[in-house]
Amino acid sequence: MSSPKRSDEPVWWSLFSAGGVCFAVFLPGLILALGILWPLGLLNSSVLQYAQLLSLLQSGYGLTGLAFTGAVICLPLFHAAHRIHHGLHDLKCGYSSATKLLCYGTAGLLSVLALYFTLSLLLKY
Amino acid sequence: MTEYQLLIQRYDPEHDNEPRLQRFTVPGDHTTSMLDALLYVQQKLDVTLGLRWSCRMAICGSCGVMVNGIPKLGCKTFLRDYHSEIVIEPLAHFAVEKDLIVDMTQFLAHLSAIKPYLINDYSGTAMHKQTPAQLAKYQQFSNCINCGLCYSACPQFGLNPEFLGPAAITLAQRYNLDSRDNGKAARMPQLNGKNGAWGCTFVGFCSDVCPKQLDPAAAVNQAKVESAKDFIISMFKP
Repeated sequence: MSSPKRSDEPVWWSLFSAGGVCFAVFLPGLILALGILWPLGLLNSSVLQYAQLLSLLQSGYGLTGLAFTGAVICLPLFHAAHRIHHGLHDLKCGYSSATKLLCYGTAGLLSVLALYFTLSLLLKY
Repeated sequence: MTEYQLLIQRYDPEHDNEPRLQRFTVPGDHTTSMLDALLYVQQKLDVTLGLRWSCRMAICGSCGVMVNGIPKLGCKTFLRDYHSEIVIEPLAHFAVEKDLIVDMTQFLAHLSAIKPYLINDYSGTAMHKQTPAQLAKYQQFSNCINCGLCYSACPQFGLNPEFLGPAAITLAQRYNLDSRDNGKAARMPQLNGKNGAWGCTFVGFCSDVCPKQLDPAAAVNQAKVESAKDFIISMFKP
């Protein structure tokens, strides 16, 4: 058996793994806080008001905000894209380099947008 | 003695157009294994039944069959655990040679592709010494009996026979983790390919069916981490 070509899968698998960890660690808490407790009025809602969050972001928590976006949006997006891409293979449903581009491309594009919006808030005067 | 109904897949590629199930009634008690039942069929009911077996004690790895759709060693599976009809078929994802005998050629090619032997430049006669900790790193993965059940369990091998598969990747890890071995660099190219560790999607059924409980899925995931590290290191090499 000759030496096979090196796969680029480590890149996608690393993002997938990191996304999986973020999904498991951060998302349950976030869903509990923003999806359940806040709508039920059980959270002090003043903390989550736009002006409050903006001042928090601009007063030294900017990098934390960027990391938050990365952990709860960007990495989980790549996690989901990876699952969908490999799911297509399992279902024998159009798995190709085109679907790979589509899956990871969408995750990449949405990640860039999420980071852009966070950055623009950060730098907003 | 209880009577059990076995539905055994029969297929002779030279004479049959397609496989068919044939019914046999066999007696059994709480000690009768599936292999005993198959040998009863072969010796008392139909001498033409083809099956592969040797040790009867889960060491040789020859008697793998699908029992009600699950890969099992015939000698380690007992009639007492089944109640209605028992469907026995050849191992899934392999070509059938005859009845329950499958062609393991590709499986063996995958095993040999990862260089499953100690590679080092040691030429002395003194014994290698290993600490218990060094042994513990790979010992679990060294218990593989090459039965091929994990390949029948693996949906990725079913979709893509070029995938090295659980046993081969486990064997690569077994030698890569051995302190006496220096052959990792020679094995990594196979693991780094799309048909190496990256052909796995961590379904994990291989570990469920492994008759030696050596957790091939864990070995494959370790191999993914090794391959990812190898990928990063390769970026800094000229």
